[in-house]
Amino acid sequence: MSLRAVCLCVALTLGLASGDELTANRRQAVTFHAPELSPVYRGAPSRIELQFRVASGFHINSHQPKQEYLKKTELKLDPPTDIVIEKVTYPQGQEQSFAFAPQEKLSVYSGDFLIGVVVRPLKSVLPASYAVHGKLNYQACDKAACYPPRQLPVSFEIKVLKSAAEGKKHNPAQSPHAHT
Amino acid sequence: MKRDPIVLVVVAVVISLMLVFGIQKTRHRPPQQTAEQLQGKPAPDFSLAATDGKTVKLSNFRGKAVLLNFWATWCEPCKVEMPWFVELQTKYGPQGLQVLGVAMDDSSPKEIAEFAKKMGVNYPVVIGKEAVGDQYGGIPYLPSTFYISREGKVIDKIYGLVSRSEIEADVRRALASPGQVAQK
Repeated sequence: MSLRAVCLCVALTLGLASGDELTANRRQAVTFHAPELSPVYRGAPSRIELQFRVASGFHINSHQPKQEYLKKTELKLDPPTDIVIEKVTYPQGQEQSFAFAPQEKLSVYSGDFLIGVVVRPLKSVLPASYAVHGKLNYQACDKAACYPPRQLPVSFEIKVLKSAAEGKKHNPAQSPHAHT
Repeated sequence: MKRDPIVLVVVAVVISLMLVFGIQKTRHRPPQQTAEQLQGKPAPDFSLAATDGKTVKLSNFRGKAVLLNFWATWCEPCKVEMPWFVELQTKYGPQGLQVLGVAMDDSSPKEIAEFAKKMGVNYPVVIGKEAVGDQYGGIPYLPSTFYISREGKVIDKIYGLVSRSEIEADVRRALASPGQVAQK
């Protein structure tokens, strides 16, 4: 057995063990379903929809909870240089009352929900694929208890393309001497 | 020298596991004991700053039955319990009940104090720390309430919101527990 095989064995064991740790210690009430590679034209805003799912039996506060002291759901993105996040659009919360406070309506997300992100690469961005990373801050509760605020890692890819108009604009001007 | 492949695999796995456990130990300090292990044992002592700036030490309540409630301002079910705790403190305080709130919150002490005032809280509220949460099994969710006998032992713990009658039953059990009246 070669040294390379031993190293592979160590790496696999480490990988499996760290995966177990993730599932055991960092179970999330919300999951993120990354969209397929989204084409966006440089210089132009494009809307991308990010899909999230709240696990059955849980709810999280919406982006605009009714009570000031509740933790709102918020998407924080850290795009690559010269790729601008122009706007993040949150869905309206569902007004629901729960067994722990039947007389009170809370603004929450449960099940699937979409957050819209408007991305605009500057004209200086080279056409290529780029990863946008970020995190979703949320705080989940079930029917009888609440869980500490959590951060869900979010990552999606965009493919920056040249726009058709941009292609025309950049045609080199003909020299006045060309036809003489 | 010829290497035995089985020995190499065993060595590799042992090294990997040692690395994993080493990394885990440095990354995450697990709760000192689970909440289940606390049952019947002395309640871990702590000193924490209250919202009024004074320091509250749990063991100073020895001789009293203590309802130790971990909560947060962002926890709606916690809000449901608070008026019940206020009533129970009023009703059973003369018999030796002491409700103590531990805010596991990232809000400022001032905000916590304002929130408690708004809720009409008539018992001390201290600003919680993760280390204290770990002493009590990690407090995976809120509300989490521990009932401590007059002699300072954990007699019950409740995770999540339960009915007022269940809370009151636990308070009575804690009050009925043996122990001396607090010395001043």
